[in-house]
Amino acid sequence: MQNNPYQSLIDALIDGDRDKAYQSASELLKSGIPKERIVVEGIHKAMEMLDGKCTAEQFNLLELMLTGRAVSTVIDLLYKGDQSGVASRETIVLAALEGDIHDLGKSIVKTVLMGKGYRTVDCGKDVTIEKIVETAKKEGAKAICISGLISSVMPQIKRLKPSLEEAGCGDIAVLAGGAALKQATAEVLNVDYVGITAFDAGKYIDTLLGYSHDQS
Amino acid sequence: MTSLERISATVRFERTDRVPVIAQIGAHSAIFAKKKLIDYVRDGELAAYSQITALEHYGYDAVFAIFDSCVETEAAGSTIEYREDIYPAVIKYILNPDSDVEKHKLPDPHQDGRMPEILKCVRILRQEVGDKTLVVGTVIGPMTVLTQLMGMERALYMAIDDPKRFVKFFDYACQLVRRFGLAQLEAGAHLILTFDPAASQTVIPPQFYREFVLPRHRELFKTFKEGGAIANWVHSAGRIDDIMPYYQETNVDIVNFDYEVDPLSAIANTGHICLDGNIKPLSFIFDTPEIIRQESLKLMGIFKERGGFILSSGCEIPPESKPENIEAMVNAARETL
Repeated sequence: MQNNPYQSLIDALIDGDRDKAYQSASELLKSGIPKERIVVEGIHKAMEMLDGKCTAEQFNLLELMLTGRAVSTVIDLLYKGDQSGVASRETIVLAALEGDIHDLGKSIVKTVLMGKGYRTVDCGKDVTIEKIVETAKKEGAKAICISGLISSVMPQIKRLKPSLEEAGCGDIAVLAGGAALKQATAEVLNVDYVGITAFDAGKYIDTLLGYSHDQS
Repeated sequence: MTSLERISATVRFERTDRVPVIAQIGAHSAIFAKKKLIDYVRDGELAAYSQITALEHYGYDAVFAIFDSCVETEAAGSTIEYREDIYPAVIKYILNPDSDVEKHKLPDPHQDGRMPEILKCVRILRQEVGDKTLVVGTVIGPMTVLTQLMGMERALYMAIDDPKRFVKFFDYACQLVRRFGLAQLEAGAHLILTFDPAASQTVIPPQFYREFVLPRHRELFKTFKEGGAIANWVHSAGRIDDIMPYYQETNVDIVNFDYEVDPLSAIANTGHICLDGNIKPLSFIFDTPEIIRQESLKLMGIFKERGGFILSSGCEIPPESKPENIEAMVNAARETL
């Protein structure tokens, strides 16, 4: 059985070991493997495997943060921080709404989507609905991911789809997640989908845009 | 039985006249009392008035001296932004990984930030209810305080990259929490609720809890007992199934379990510890009184043989909840009379 040259990188990314991930990616580069292959066979593969491993019961923020940091370290090495080299899929806009506590969950979803090859546009935290609509329209987004840790942001998220329709981009999918929002149904929040873990958004978008979902 | 007697007996797994019920209410009490959230979180007298108004209406078994999750970090020097209808949030953390935390001043609960207002709230609540109703003092738990002092991302990365340094920061957070909790006990709180959502397994793996948090929770609860607490109550929102077995080693008396935790799993994982939970908080906004009643009856049925159960929500009842849904939970507990 032939050894997978990317296995060391994949293992390091899943373990969240950024030093080892950097070292493995450096060795792959030195051996002449193109950056694009390292992204597809290393980063994308690691995210797919993590996706299958992280069920709602096993998910924890710390491990995903460490993987996210390791992924960013490798992307920095390959593309000097320019994620356009990694992005081969459609654009997804992410935001945490005005008044929320923090946007860590949203940042994790961003890492997952980046790892899958989507182009992500992060509006940050404390973002108004108007700003989200403007950004999604300008960037030609296919979906918007909103995180909400507190119930007080619910009236805002309910306004998002009508605002998109008013702006003539009602075909953009709206996804919600986070401690408070995940307790509600899509119908109540007036969104297309509510995810429980950081990986659910990626799975939904994969299906929506016609990418097969690999559970390897 | 008085509410306090009912809660105390339940913690000891003794028989009670009915199942105790606690609505975990913060700013909902202000809205119910027709006050503004922004005033509630800054004024101990107004908060106490709101809590008493809600208690008199709903008739549950405890009142809370609680504002929001920023009280401790604000007192330590972080910058907070207040908003009209939403809980305040940190906009500038006081600590960063380079801070000389060992020299950083510990806040004085009698002077700094809004801590004195919380103490005022505790004093008024105790004066009003005496020993009839449980007066709950609240602290944000040490793991969560640390994330509020320096940001969650920086705190968690530090734990992995430089664990020795992380421990120094963590111990500062513990001292801060200890002082604040003891001051609330001195002011008249019957016990302290330690709210530590960053110590749930949604955020950290169980091994992290065992290594870093468990010994500090144990020490904290011991200190609160020595400071006069009739019991200790821990609340880590979200999933805690694999962390729950460690609670037995902390000597905590009451464990809150959120809606994501199966009651049978909570029973299996906590041994002889009183549990409270776990109606989904958003149900109090969206569902009907009948759904809340059915959920309450189901929970009380599960715990009927075991005892050691306080009917409650899984986490804070959201400010915008429907009063009739809170009434439904309280009335369901009264059906067990």
